[in-house]
Amino acid sequence: MGRKNSKIEKILIANRGVTAVRIMHTCRDRKIPTTAVYSTPDRLSLHVMVGDSAVHIGEAPPAESYLNMEKMIEAALTSGANAIHPGWGFLAENAKFAKMVTDSGLIWVGPSSEVIKSMGDKIEAKKIAVRANVPTIPGITDVTDIDQIKAWMKNDAVAFPVFIKAAAGGGGKGMVKVESEQELSTALNQARSEAKKSFGNDKLLAEKYIEKGRHIEVQIVADQHGDTFHLFERECTLQRRNQKIIEEAPSPSIGDNIRKEICFTATRLMREIGYATAGTVEFIFDSSTNNFYFLEVNTRLQVEHGITELITGMDIVGLMLDAAEGKKFSFKQEDIVPNRWALEVRINAEDPRTFSPSFGPISRLQIPQGPGVRISPGVYEGADIPPYYDSLFMLMMTAGPNRDSAIRTMDRILSRNLRIEGIKTLAPLLLSIIRHEAFKKGEFSTRFIEDHMDELVSMFKEKDSEDEVLKIAKFVAEISALGPQGWM
Amino acid sequence: MKNYVRPGMSPGDIVSKIRSLDGVMLTCTGMRDAGQSDFKNRHRIHDLAKLAPYYEKMNLFSSECHGGARWHVGIMNRRESPFKEIEILRETMPSVLLQTLIRETNLWGYRPYPKNVIEYVVKEVDIDVWRCFSFLNDIRNMRSVAEVVMKRERLFQPAISFTQADWTTNEYYLGCVDDIVDLCAGTDEIILCIKDMAGVGSPARIRSLVDAIKQKYPDLVVQYHRHATDGLALPALLASAEAGAQIIDVEEDSLTRFYGQAPILGVQAFLEESGIKVHLDREQTELAVQKVREWIGHYEWAESPFKGFDHTVTSHKMPGGAFPSSFEQAGKGGFLHLMPDILRIMSLYNKIVKYFDVTPGSQITWVTCSGIVNMYAKEGGESGVKHITGLLTKFVEGKKQDMSAMSKEEQKELLTLFRKAPGDFKNLLLGGYGKLPMGWPDEWVYQSAFGDEWKEMMAKRKELSPLDSLEDDDLNRISAELTDHLERAPTEEEFILYLMHPKDALLMVDFVEKYGEAPLVLPTDVWREGLKNPGDKVDFDLWGKPYTIELASVGAEHEGHIHVVMRVNNKTRVYSVDTPRAKKVEIRIASGKNEISAPINGNVWRIGNPRRGALKIGDIVHKGEEIANLEAMKMENAILSPYDGHVEEICVKLNASVVEKQLLFVLKKT
Repeated sequence: MGRKNSKIEKILIANRGVTAVRIMHTCRDRKIPTTAVYSTPDRLSLHVMVGDSAVHIGEAPPAESYLNMEKMIEAALTSGANAIHPGWGFLAENAKFAKMVTDSGLIWVGPSSEVIKSMGDKIEAKKIAVRANVPTIPGITDVTDIDQIKAWMKNDAVAFPVFIKAAAGGGGKGMVKVESEQELSTALNQARSEAKKSFGNDKLLAEKYIEKGRHIEVQIVADQHGDTFHLFERECTLQRRNQKIIEEAPSPSIGDNIRKEICFTATRLMREIGYATAGTVEFIFDSSTNNFYFLEVNTRLQVEHGITELITGMDIVGLMLDAAEGKKFSFKQEDIVPNRWALEVRINAEDPRTFSPSFGPISRLQIPQGPGVRISPGVYEGADIPPYYDSLFMLMMTAGPNRDSAIRTMDRILSRNLRIEGIKTLAPLLLSIIRHEAFKKGEFSTRFIEDHMDELVSMFKEKDSEDEVLKIAKFVAEISALGPQGWM
Repeated sequence: MKNYVRPGMSPGDIVSKIRSLDGVMLTCTGMRDAGQSDFKNRHRIHDLAKLAPYYEKMNLFSSECHGGARWHVGIMNRRESPFKEIEILRETMPSVLLQTLIRETNLWGYRPYPKNVIEYVVKEVDIDVWRCFSFLNDIRNMRSVAEVVMKRERLFQPAISFTQADWTTNEYYLGCVDDIVDLCAGTDEIILCIKDMAGVGSPARIRSLVDAIKQKYPDLVVQYHRHATDGLALPALLASAEAGAQIIDVEEDSLTRFYGQAPILGVQAFLEESGIKVHLDREQTELAVQKVREWIGHYEWAESPFKGFDHTVTSHKMPGGAFPSSFEQAGKGGFLHLMPDILRIMSLYNKIVKYFDVTPGSQITWVTCSGIVNMYAKEGGESGVKHITGLLTKFVEGKKQDMSAMSKEEQKELLTLFRKAPGDFKNLLLGGYGKLPMGWPDEWVYQSAFGDEWKEMMAKRKELSPLDSLEDDDLNRISAELTDHLERAPTEEEFILYLMHPKDALLMVDFVEKYGEAPLVLPTDVWREGLKNPGDKVDFDLWGKPYTIELASVGAEHEGHIHVVMRVNNKTRVYSVDTPRAKKVEIRIASGKNEISAPINGNVWRIGNPRRGALKIGDIVHKGEEIANLEAMKMENAILSPYDGHVEEICVKLNASVVEKQLLFVLKKT
């Protein structure tokens, strides 16, 4: 937590790509100079170009660069920054780092080290939620062997599937769904290993798996003066391998009554915790029973915050800076009136059929424009997608007066305006999803993609003439270079 | 003038229309046989389609635009789908009957297909006139094609393969026609074609044959298809028309060289002067002939190196359609200088084994005879070739194939002559293609081909039509096999291409995935040579929108790569082209059973599992046991053993990057 009434003179963004660029945009609005950091392969990345100065912090592996806390702080100090924004991912929810930042006399743009720590431990967070009277999913904590899970399932009459999760987890890592007893052992090992690798902590918990559950989260912003507001909810049900790929605000799966209840519950919880920056309370909503359960608190800015900004007109990164500087928010809950429907898709560098990563140079990038569009870029044409980091390299958001109109605009930009060459992206899959009848009707679950994969792949966009002409050009290039071919 | 015959007319109506006409109609072969006979079938649909607007108004009987070797060369060399060609021509000349040439049970391939394949394929191809021939004149083999075509209400045109030899008498051919009339239940819904594929019918011989057929079947409409090889096409065509043939095959004057059909304008003038009416729009025809000159220059490279008419075709009988491809093979194989000897051996060979030199027979003749000549040339040089020619001449012409009249030494040599002949030749001797027109060849041929086993092999000869002897193919299995290759469901058309020519069909599909419609939209000079100088450009329309590709520069070769800079609709693009010297990094892709592949691109961070540690060759693994783990973008992916087995090979190193489908392990099942 920053010192009250401290002004940010210059800020280091301890992140890369889409995240760093997004934060730098608001900083630039406020004329706060920024320090970018980069690993060796990111030397020419977009965020390095957008920042006002840049510091090399190490080699490609995250542990040597974007997760290297000492280097990060050293970079802030040497570049004259007096604040650090962690973005999302990497050091964003690292309590130790938050403490190191404040201990170094820097302003930390995020929740306090203590809050991160208690919320970061899923077991601890669940306890706090129970104390605050927030409903939670049935499950057990401190899982060390499969017999424990079996006993719990027997006692509480829980049936497969169940989830094994890293207590310290997030972002889909260290989360394994178990369908049957035979899988338990492998799943437990995988979760433990991933947990250790991603979070350096192999504490696990097991939970009942809510079939066809919907993922709804509430955006909270709070200052250091006790003002805690919600910016309404987002729907993040559409996931693949537990990672979100399409989000929208508001949620199409709940009515006004549930909306009110879920937003107030989230606000109450965060007030209880003493939260003071932007954060999110995630719930899983069981549409068959109309019950929602607390999942976790994300003590960071989230990837999908942009759609909340679109529907409310607020700048969440700006509010985080305000909160960190100790300013008191100048608005009230009733001032926040969403009047748009917004949709976000994540453009990941992945094969849309298999989700296997795709990296290398982006030989052509044509970014869509037109009414109702917000793009959050992480790359430029010619940039290289290195294999070491997350596959997200661009966010595309659309907004309109209602859901249909936001979907129409998204269809327009995915099907006509967007061109990405050199790497594979999820774009064809995203287009199939938003064109699917079930999506249009708002009837989907976290399993939607796995359940409909073949159908979605079969809906992949028909060929377009621009792609086709490039194939022809490739042929002309080869023949121009090599002359008539033996097979002709 | 409206075309007398058009797509959509019933076969019966087409036949009555022709019967009612005074004089002849023409089939133009400009889009198929003309190109096959003198230009190795390389004429691209991009150029041929430019003729279609004229064809549309010429009042042709039909346009022969499909089939023969054009199908195979299309997918192999031009990368054009025969289905796409039909689609283009339907659009550009909707009132013209489209005609194909089909090799009875061989369809457009080179092996006899079982009945279910024939039925499946024939019903999927949108052609109006189906000319069907048998290189054995084994009419039984046409049955399946005839049934499907007639059931579809398309015009079936059975052909009798014609050659001029002592055994090909009128009586023989009338026997074939009888079989045809029986097969097709009369003469009202078919047109009979006399297929003079080598261009050997003398005017008097053709007059006599047509006359004999018309005497016996006055109502049978006869079409004469003739190549010009012997130099006597015009008088022979006139003779056929005077004897009662009502349709004859011709091509644009500007396309004629030596081995295709006679020139359309010349034929019309000659016949009309001789008192035979030719139904043809002369003005439109002249425009078509002129149009050809705009593009024919792009195909000079494809013309046969062997130029000029060749009256000796009457003895060697090489069909016009095989001329360019045979000479191409001889050129590529470095034995062009042996061509006169090969042709000589062919003329002797066809007296020993009697059938018709047309696909697949012509290929059998060619491979067998060129093989013999090459073998002797290799062993004995020029004198070796002279020796075998002399020996065969003595045997066939001198001794009238009386083996006992030859010396012991000579007999011994003849009895090994066919030992190295191709499998197709041996299959032919055993009846694999059907009944031979003049019965089985002499016993010594079997001794020569099969050695000690010759008696057993002779006992295996069968007289059944392949239609009755071949078992149906399992189409579902073949389709599944293709799906495996493509990793997606094939289209109907891809499946048929695959049925005909499996290997080349896969290459074609690959090509289209890579280069899209390049074969269809690029003009021929750019298709073949590319763009030559900076600033050169090519304009074309694709799917209703204009495009321009302009060459900016071609770099020098560096380590197997050439950089080509082009402007595609004004946007600069750089292409790195691999030259044949480019080094290929070999990645082993799992294909066989026992091979375990990577499900995704990733990094092999563990081989084995934490419980047992690393795996080694020879280790026993259990079903479901983790044998490796791949990491991709922070996600772990366990590779589980699909069965109990032991490790035969570990094909990747720890921490290696692997691509999807790359071979990781060979696991022997226990």
